[in-house]
This record gives sequence, C-alpha cells and structure tokens, in this order.
Amino acid sequence: MSLIKVKSRGTDNVGGRRNIIINGAMQLAQRGTSSTANGYGSVDRFQILAGGADEAPTHAQVDVASGTTPYGLGFRKALKLTNGNQTSGAGAADYMGIWQHIEGQNISQSGWNTTDPNSKLTLSYWVKSSVAQTFYGRFRAFASSQYEYTYSFALSANTWTKVTTTVPGNSNFSSLVNTNAVGFYHVWQCFWGTDYTNNKTLGEWAVKDNANKSPDMTSTWYTTNDATFEITGVQLEVGDAATDFSHRTFAEELSLCQRYFYKVEGASSDRVGIGGYVVGASEARMDVVFPCAMRAAPTISGTGTAQFDGHADSADFNCSAIIIDEVPTGIVSGLGIQIATSGMTNGHSGGLRFRGSGGTLSFTAEL
Amino acid sequence: MSTYQLYPDTSKGPVSCVKRTDNDGSIWCIPFSEDNTDYKKYLEWVAEGNKPKAADKTD
Repeated sequence: MSLIKVKSRGTDNVGGRRNIIINGAMQLAQRGTSSTANGYGSVDRFQILAGGADEAPTHAQVDVASGTTPYGLGFRKALKLTNGNQTSGAGAADYMGIWQHIEGQNISQSGWNTTDPNSKLTLSYWVKSSVAQTFYGRFRAFASSQYEYTYSFALSANTWTKVTTTVPGNSNFSSLVNTNAVGFYHVWQCFWGTDYTNNKTLGEWAVKDNANKSPDMTSTWYTTNDATFEITGVQLEVGDAATDFSHRTFAEELSLCQRYFYKVEGASSDRVGIGGYVVGASEARMDVVFPCAMRAAPTISGTGTAQFDGHADSADFNCSAIIIDEVPTGIVSGLGIQIATSGMTNGHSGGLRFRGSGGTLSFTAEL
Repeated sequence: MSTYQLYPDTSKGPVSCVKRTDNDGSIWCIPFSEDNTDYKKYLEWVAEGNKPKAADKTD
C-alpha cells in the first residue's frame, strides 16, 4: 500500500494562497509609482498616513537592489517611505506610518481560529531604514471592541532585516468582523508622538488605547531630513512560524488589488470597453464592467478628456465630470455611469473614447 | 481641506452621489453606499454639523 503524506498547516510549507496580505511583494502601483498623497497613492493596498507633518512624506514603489538578500529571494520591488523635512521637530501629535487594512471575511475565514490563544498568525517581512532605531509594529482587530497588539523591531542603518512576529487568537474575537468591512490591520509605526504613546506592554492583545499605542518612540528617524523606511516581502499567514514568501504572478496580484482599486487608462482616441447609449441628446449613460467584483460601490474619479463616441459624437468632456448613474447593490461587478454633454442623438449607442493623453477613470473601494 | 457639493438632478431625478474636491483639485464622485469608506467619512463630516454646497444650476 502506498502512503500519501499530507503537509500540516503552519508546520511545513503549504503552497497556494497562504498570504493574507495583498501585494506583499509591492508588484502593483496602479495609481502611480510615487506620491505625496496622505492615504493611498503609490503601491496598491498600502496606505500612508501622516499627521502634523511639516512636509508631506513621499511614498514610492522602488527597485530592490541586486545583490541584496531580498533580491536573491525574488523580490524586485519595495515600498519606500521618505519622511520629508520635519522642521518643527517631533510634535506630540505627529505620526507617520504605513498600513494595510484587511477585509474582515478574509481574516475570519483564513483558517485562523480567532478565539483560540493556541492558534497563531505569523507576520514576516523585509525592512530597511536609513536610520538605526527601534520601531514598532501594531495589529488591530475589529471585534465588538477594538483590540491592539504591539511589538518592536530594531534596525541597523541601511541594512535589510527580516522581521517575524507571531500573534495569538483571543477569546474576545468571537465577534471579529466577518464581512467586507475592515476586520484587521497592521501598521508600521515609523513615528508616533507622545500624545499616542506611553508605556504599552508589548506582545499581548489589549483594548485599543489611543493614548498608549506603543512605548514612547525615539524620534531620530522622524527628525532626520529625508530619512527612509522600506518594506517588501510582507506575508501574514496562519500558523506559528513564517514560511517562505508565497510569490504570486503579476496577474494574480493585480486581480486581488482590483477588488479595491481599478483603473482604466488610455491615450487619445483609445476606446476602453465602456459602452452605452444616449438619452435626450445631452446625457450619455455607460456601463463599466469590473474585471473583479469590487469590495463596495466605488468612488470614481477621472483625468483628461473623453467623448461619447457614437453615430454622432459628443462634445469633449472632462472625465472628472462623470458621475455615478446607479449605485449597485449586492456583488459589485459593474457600475452605471453618466455624463452630461452635447452633440449626440437621442437613442444612439456608442462608447467612451479618450480624447487626450493621460485619460483615466479610477474606481476606488478601499478599506 | 476637502469640500463637498451635491450634483444637479439628471433626467432620472436626484443622483445618489456627492462630489468631493480635494486640495490638489482632484474631483471624486462618492456613491451613497454605506460600504464605501469615502461615504462614511462624508457622513461623519455631515454629523459634525457641516453641509455640502448646493448643486450648480443647470439649464
């Protein structure tokens, strides 16, 4: 009789989608490769927030240098945060960090027994800072109350370091969010001022305390002009040990990201698969079909100009003037949009055509 | 600081979204959907006693 050995989860290398983090290798940057936006703006699914900053930080998708350990492990991209020039120093109310928010149903149905302290999640990543310092990372779980778990990691200057931390389940997590709303996040605390820090006990879940998110932080990194902080290879998995990073193809990662952000772009005269019809000669209604159902009805924005390309073409209009026609309910697989313009013929069909370089439509359903 | 403004009615009547204009001039059309985080922030802004600008008048 032949025996088939089955690998056990968390103790051996299990293939497939074990990484709960999306875009952990920083492959995708649909919005752009560099941004000073306070929020999402560069690498998909990673949000940069800063409060009280004298100069906005820059976040960018950058190359991992060949010859480094992360490069040797197959990582080609990293998320780099450059802190700007904080001329007034480290204010008590200042903060700067990198978040990834996770859908509740993705964490609750990950295989983690959320209420069992013996069931573990393990986070691992590569990180590099231009300034030697101890930093903090923090998880938040969204149950009937919000709970936080903080840990520390010390970095030498300009040295890629692999950080691994393991967090247990908790008996209070029976009500952990199990919907498309945020259920969990991790934040890299690059700097948090003393309004938010005190003497936090590391390595345990506790009810969120906005005045005590971590021990007081050293401000060296924050007050060093254009100090940098880079991460890549971020993996959150069920089990009590970090396994090798589960690399995904670009297409797989793009599809996962498009649940939260979808971008259509084109050059002048490009048609992008958005068809529709004319109502009353001045209003065009169009249907956008998403390649992946979005998490929620998305916010839309546009850049550049377009026209409704039909039997009678419309006048050019700004893509930023496009509005939502119908707010979808249930699974958000598409969206009705409309534009007021002129020059069309009632009842004719056609579609959207960009009229200049840099035309975009963006659909955002982030957490 | 972002600003909010209502949209004019269309041929269907009132629209179920609100316009947000950010400091950098970018414009966002936010659906009235409680799962949408931008809409949640808009509701919080309204709950603080703020009101969106009236819609631009159309012909």
